[in-house]
Amino acid sequence: MQFELNDEQSALRDSLARLLAQRYSFEKRRALADSAERHDPAAWGQLAELGLMGLPVSEAYGGFGAKAEDILPVMQELGAALSLEPYLPMVLGATALERAGDEAQCNEYLPPVIAGESRLAWAHDEANGRHAPWWVQTTAHREGDGWVLNGVKALVLGAPLADRFVVSARLSGEPDQREGCALFLVDAAAPGVQLRSFALVDDSAAGELTFSGAQAVALGDSTDSKRVLAAIDHTRAVGIAAICADMTGAMQAAYRLAVEYLNTRQQFGRYIGQNQALRHRAAEMLVSLELARSMAIAAAVAADDPASDGAGLDLHRAKLSVGRHARQLAQHAIQLHGGIGMTEECAVGHYLRRIHVLDQLLGDGDAHAARLASLLAASPSA
Amino acid sequence: MDLQLTPEQQAFRADVRAFIEERLPQDIRERLRAGHPPRKEETVRWQRILNERGWAAPHWPRCFGGAELGQIERLILMDELYRAPAPLPQVFNITMLGPVLMKFGTPEQCEHFLPRLANLDLWFCQGFSEPGSGSDLASLRTAARREGDHYIVNGQKIWTTTAHWADWTFALVRTDPEARKQAGISFLLIDLKSPGITIRPITSIDGEHHLNEVFFDDVRVPVGNLVGQENKGWDCAKFLLSNERTGIANVGLCRERLDHARAVAARMPQAGGFLIDDPKLLAEMAALDAEIRALEVTNWRFLLTPSAQQEMPAFASVLKLKGVELQQEINALLARVAGPTGLEKRDSDELEHGPLVPRYFYSRAASIYGGTSEVQKDILSKFILG
Repeated sequence: MQFELNDEQSALRDSLARLLAQRYSFEKRRALADSAERHDPAAWGQLAELGLMGLPVSEAYGGFGAKAEDILPVMQELGAALSLEPYLPMVLGATALERAGDEAQCNEYLPPVIAGESRLAWAHDEANGRHAPWWVQTTAHREGDGWVLNGVKALVLGAPLADRFVVSARLSGEPDQREGCALFLVDAAAPGVQLRSFALVDDSAAGELTFSGAQAVALGDSTDSKRVLAAIDHTRAVGIAAICADMTGAMQAAYRLAVEYLNTRQQFGRYIGQNQALRHRAAEMLVSLELARSMAIAAAVAADDPASDGAGLDLHRAKLSVGRHARQLAQHAIQLHGGIGMTEECAVGHYLRRIHVLDQLLGDGDAHAARLASLLAASPSA
Repeated sequence: MDLQLTPEQQAFRADVRAFIEERLPQDIRERLRAGHPPRKEETVRWQRILNERGWAAPHWPRCFGGAELGQIERLILMDELYRAPAPLPQVFNITMLGPVLMKFGTPEQCEHFLPRLANLDLWFCQGFSEPGSGSDLASLRTAARREGDHYIVNGQKIWTTTAHWADWTFALVRTDPEARKQAGISFLLIDLKSPGITIRPITSIDGEHHLNEVFFDDVRVPVGNLVGQENKGWDCAKFLLSNERTGIANVGLCRERLDHARAVAARMPQAGGFLIDDPKLLAEMAALDAEIRALEVTNWRFLLTPSAQQEMPAFASVLKLKGVELQQEINALLARVAGPTGLEKRDSDELEHGPLVPRYFYSRAASIYGGTSEVQKDILSKFILG
């Protein structure tokens, strides 16, 4: 067993932390949240220079072939900085594209992503599926040499900032069937693509995509259902691990803010951190933080090595457990700040906003509890 | 990063599992599975079997009859014992007193006591708590006055688990009444057959007798039974309380009890079906499973990663707080799973229903003994906030 970052992972984390400290102060981030773009193109370029865009892409296409455990410290830093950069959708899109696409497609579409010139987003979830990992009503059919899509993809993270979408669509079968789907690449500017863009409650950019006969490129062999299934499952696994990491970064930052506040704010002639009720709340937050950090590691390991002991259960356990601890910790952190914690100009509340969004993505706690319950019922002591 | 056991560790697990499978008496397994705490005779019988492999004192050096197991192997052994389920090595002898003797005791004390502790030829209990000294242990008042080659001990201990089974106790006594709190305390080994000792049972809220009061009335203890130096007993106590970290999270216990809850729910009738079909219960058990896993990975991460320990020296408090919380939640769940059929008072041999409700009641003690949860939070908040 091994739980520590290796030298390369630590070095990347440190460089990213320095960059974010310089470029992504909370004040700067607030201004970005109010801007039309909802992110910082200059910062995005610097993230690309650091090599972040190439992380999830194989060396064969100019990337670094990083694993979920390499992405873990990156997501933790982005979460701690309340980053608005569309990094998670980029990771999801690139992962899906590489897993589903053929060599020529990967060679064509991935290098510009690594360079920070092209931005991908992952369009899989649909409103009627809610938290179902698999609910595809969007249809695809052949037209001439290509394909056209019809349907609606809800809550596409980073959609307004992307120039290409990786989209799941159905060739045959019912919405909840795992077979009969394929993955497609759709140009954001293609006719028949309509984007309704909006901000999420954590100020990040997202959108709803409506496809009305939109032209699409099928990634890989569209009849190879197995490959498509594997690509979607892997993309979700990487996404869950990344979200767990992001949440633990957010937790760590909210915890630090709360501790700092306890040691500076005075009431009744003494620091509020001298009161046992508040001290014990801080202790409970630390317990939550440590458990969540452990499960973020377990999620990354499970995404990287689906054959390892307990990996099939650990993604569900992690999403469930990290989500609950993160929410608990963020709520405690607000409480410890008192009234100021309720204001938009105080960073602490933004962590609850971010954590709530992340908790709802790729299946919320209840959805993962239900899935875990059925797996455990099949083999209790797995 | 990885969470895999090495092939050697996997082989060790298989070895332990096979040994338990072959040697654990079925009657003990069944009583423990039903939820009964092991009887004295059961713990002794099983510990002597474990002792054949050195696993009665897994982390002790071989020269004292141990198996010199490392952290991860100890965890594996404990997990497998809980999984069986089988009694764990008697904690007062093995985890508490043995290491204190090795660090502070004389060669003669080690030679005399350690083999007897491992083989449970002597059963020790812990004489620390007093009526006026609960969480504030150093305020203890039981006094030992030097008279020639003996100490004369007077005072009272309380909450002494298994004193009624014990041959000896290791006790903290005040040898210098003038010194400040921690400074005047000594660590004494006391033969409970000595004249002047009275043991009175305390019946706990589960209706059982685990706890006792122990009274000392002019009890003569040979000076040779002092461990370490006179008035330096607090060092022994601190060492004893801090060196048990491996088992503090009790992950294996939580997992075994949760599996048992699933098994009981599967045969518990409910309105024409079975309780296990209730999706709310299943989701609750899934959430507990996730938390057990989080505790397990945290336990590994702290115990196996020196940098994590340096970053958080108070990590044992994290493990105890969460471990206790889970044990209590799972015991409460078991009592609810038992439902109305768990309400009948049954005798302590009953196997079919088991003492699920009494065990739930007694599980409330877990956040009181070994440092209350509030004391653990005090330790953590001191680390966090100074």
